[in-house]
Amino acid sequence: MEFEKDNYSTHISQQFNAELETIRTQMLTMGGIVERQVNDAVEALLTGDVELAEQARRIDKQTNEMELLIDEQCTTTIARRQPAASDLRLIISISRAISDLERIGDESSRIAQQAIELAEGNRTQHGFQEVRHIGNLVRDMVKDVLTAFARNDLEMAYRVAKQDRNVDQEYRSAMRALVTYMMEDVRSISSIMNVIWVLRSLERIGDHSRNLAEHLIYQVSGTDVRHQSLQSIKQMVGSDEDSDSDEE
Amino acid sequence: MTSEVKTHAIDISSMQRDQRTLKLEDEVHTLKVRDLKLFYGDKEALHGVNMDIAKNRVTAFIGPSGCGKSTLLRCFNRMNDLVDSCRIEGQILLDEANIYDRTVNVADLRRRVGMVFQKPNPFPKSIYENVAYGLRIQGIKKKRVIDETVEWALRSAALWDEVKDRLHESALGMSGGQQQRLVIARTVAVKPEVLLLDEPASALDPISTLKIEELIHELKNDFTIVIVTHNMQQAARVSDYTAFMYMGDLIEFGVTDTLFTNPVQKQTEDYITGRYG
Repeated sequence: MEFEKDNYSTHISQQFNAELETIRTQMLTMGGIVERQVNDAVEALLTGDVELAEQARRIDKQTNEMELLIDEQCTTTIARRQPAASDLRLIISISRAISDLERIGDESSRIAQQAIELAEGNRTQHGFQEVRHIGNLVRDMVKDVLTAFARNDLEMAYRVAKQDRNVDQEYRSAMRALVTYMMEDVRSISSIMNVIWVLRSLERIGDHSRNLAEHLIYQVSGTDVRHQSLQSIKQMVGSDEDSDSDEE
Repeated sequence: MTSEVKTHAIDISSMQRDQRTLKLEDEVHTLKVRDLKLFYGDKEALHGVNMDIAKNRVTAFIGPSGCGKSTLLRCFNRMNDLVDSCRIEGQILLDEANIYDRTVNVADLRRRVGMVFQKPNPFPKSIYENVAYGLRIQGIKKKRVIDETVEWALRSAALWDEVKDRLHESALGMSGGQQQRLVIARTVAVKPEVLLLDEPASALDPISTLKIEELIHELKNDFTIVIVTHNMQQAARVSDYTAFMYMGDLIEFGVTDTLFTNPVQKQTEDYITGRYG
């Protein structure tokens, strides 16, 4: 079905329009907060800025509260309006999305925690290049998937899902490099372990971004693409982009 | 150890809902509608409808007032014959025989295709006599047969336990919900093949409505059920297949789960989500 821009404002019930619009806006607001949290945490780690890291951890409380708030609104709307078809899918998708957003917030918090520990102890430079690289990939994924949500852009959602595979590859090769450093210099093990936790969190953020992309595809197209191959997501979305054919 | 590992594999096929496997093509079709056009005088009320009604399933018709859903339902037992200006083109096949064929006995057709209306219409007789009425008309005289059938019909309509001690009291003393179930019992007593329900619960309170819906679920084991309802949640709850009609056209017809989560047509989507048409 062709998506229309003001699809959520055409109900006979103005109240229903308002409820759906509120839920959607709040989810995007929460997305904005989480996006900033990821940025702050990665930036704090790379620059050794403890104050920024503390700030990223503080925001986590806010995202937790927003998750509860939006979830309650979703439940209320289901109970009061018995939404069907695209309205139902919107609510289900948002209800799933906010839980992934909250988890991204948690992972950012962990990164911030590692940033504080690294700044206070012996700083190693090992792995920072990998953190910067994967951090940038993941930050773009979060930003793009939220833009995709704002525009209901399935092509963009597909690109985010596809990008997750690159992140996984980069993560694996970074791990190999870090294991080598640890074998060469035993004294660096504890600080490199901190970096490994950060990379692990970044990789998880990538997974959650892909989940978000899948929720959006379900919301707009009605097809549940969770646990499907990239190829079948591509077919669903009808993307012209090359998916590099081989699958994970 | 290996035998323990095996027990961890759980068969999830039992978790999947029936409807996932429903396919209209795979069903036995009790009723087939072919190019059905209906005119009230010069006005064409149905514009060539084609559909197959699956045996032992519940098919719901939804759509705005005046879309033709009740008109279509009434075609299935030729109730429209009673309207003078009404004219029909096309065919409706009941078990492959056209019910509009000249040789068809309409009274016989209506025994095979029973109908229940919006407002309960019990006869001003006892509960027992209401249910026995159709049997007596058929010429059944044996009291034992009638007794058994009345009990069976009342049990089928989930009414037996409530009325078994007052079978010979007037049916008019029952509540609306009980009256409607009595009318359903009266209809099923003659063992029709198809049960047509025209807004059967719209005049009832929510609890009676749920009882009727529960009843519909039970009855589909024995009958093919077609229901017209304005209550979309009701259609979503009780039916296996749903047809959306609009201005005399069948817009979309398919498995209920799909129609209510991911309809194909924009008109269907707009209607079930309460948007401007």
